Amino acid sequence: MSEMRFGRHRFGDDASLMMAIVNRTPDSFFDQGATWAEDAAFARVAEVVAQGAEIVDIGGIKAAPGVEIGPAEEKARVVDFVARVREHFPEVVISVDTWRAEVGAAVCEAGADLLNDAWGGADPELVDVAASYDVGIVCTHTGGATPRTRPYRVEYDDVMASVLRDTVGYAERALAAGVARESILIDPAHDFGKNTFHSLEVTRRLGEMVETGWPVLVSLSNKDFVGESLGLPVGQRLTGTLAATSVCALAGARVYRVHQVVETRETVDMVASIAGRRAPLRAIRGIQ
Amino acid sequence: MGLPVGVPVALVPGVLALLPEYASIEDPVAELRAAALSAVGGLGPRVLVVASEATGGSGRRVGEALVAAVGAAVVAGAGAGSCAPDPAMPGSQAHDPAQGATGVLVIGNGSATRTEKAPGHLDERAESFDDAVRAALASLDFTGVDASLAAELWADVEAMRVLPEVVSGPGEICYRDAPFGVAYCVARWAAGDGADRSLTERPADG
Repeated sequence: MSEMRFGRHRFGDDASLMMAIVNRTPDSFFDQGATWAEDAAFARVAEVVAQGAEIVDIGGIKAAPGVEIGPAEEKARVVDFVARVREHFPEVVISVDTWRAEVGAAVCEAGADLLNDAWGGADPELVDVAASYDVGIVCTHTGGATPRTRPYRVEYDDVMASVLRDTVGYAERALAAGVARESILIDPAHDFGKNTFHSLEVTRRLGEMVETGWPVLVSLSNKDFVGESLGLPVGQRLTGTLAATSVCALAGARVYRVHQVVETRETVDMVASIAGRRAPLRAIRGIQ
Repeated sequence: MGLPVGVPVALVPGVLALLPEYASIEDPVAELRAAALSAVGGLGPRVLVVASEATGGSGRRVGEALVAAVGAAVVAGAGAGSCAPDPAMPGSQAHDPAQGATGVLVIGNGSATRTEKAPGHLDERAESFDDAVRAALASLDFTGVDASLAAELWADVEAMRVLPEVVSGPGEICYRDAPFGVAYCVARWAAGDGADRSLTERPADG
């Protein structure tokens, strides 16, 4: 596995990172606006940093369709907040969930280290922003979906082939634009441009992404493919999320975008120990 | 096989947690490991390991790993109680590599029945047995250490019976504890002429 760097933050080739979701939105699916107020979002950052999250992923627009949020409003939601987090938590990697180059540039000025382009390069200039600020970028697969649209009768001949072609293509485009190799992540983007069957297949075949050599980010947390698989509403999907997390961890995913930091960290650590990549924390039983 | 004389000697318990393949992120035996490495580090570049065949010979593996960890080499040796030349190996007496040893590492420990959570559960006889082992290390007289009781208490004391033959100088106990229900002792004896084979023990908190 490879080393990773996001801005000035470096991580070794054995690191698995927790990217905690921090929504500056009134309407995101999981928290329903719980951290819409800036102080609530700031408290959420403090909480997840205390829980050991290496990355916070700050988003100003929910992924699902809804009221249109223009660049000015999006910047109003995230830029000053990024600056505040930068000032108070200099040790945490600040990621911003945006597809807009204009927003990307503004948050990088404010101290962001990573641009999480959940919409797969919808704005072709985002890679140039990442390169010029020497920050990281997440290259996702959406199957060509327009930002903030739901998949409708999307089909693939081979969903993983599409994921590999698009994410690796995007990663190579970022590299060519000048983004550092160790600052590029690829993400299959579960449920983005994918139905539940697609997301399950991508999970099952995640090892094919790992084999590309690009570090893999997975965003599984409480998503609909978990809910539909188990027949559970948002709020009851943690067990299913952790099961999917285990499969991705065993395959070699490196970054986990999560709502529940502590539970995911325990899951990923346990899998890493099973896989023989991480020693037990403290084992003495039977060997004393 | 003959035993080298006039060389430093160390005693270390055959704790599997000391092996690299059983390493944890947080070392559960950090204090024991430090004492063991320090003691083995004083045995010079060629170390004879004397261990029993208890628990599948794991004690020997622990000893050899400690020797490797301090950058020394293991010289060919034999198990406890087999210090005589091996008749199955012609010439083993004439070309005894143990005579080139610069130090002797003895592997052994007291009972494994010190507490209710000990590997062999609590045995009320364990503490007095371990006291007898401690006394034998000081007197270098193991006649008071009962072999059948040792087996009942899951102790590994057979290799210690070579200590009266190999110890030639003064010694000290560097670590003695039973943190996981097993009685550990790390001791080291300097090379000497046999005149002073006394044993001292550092204060427990020191």
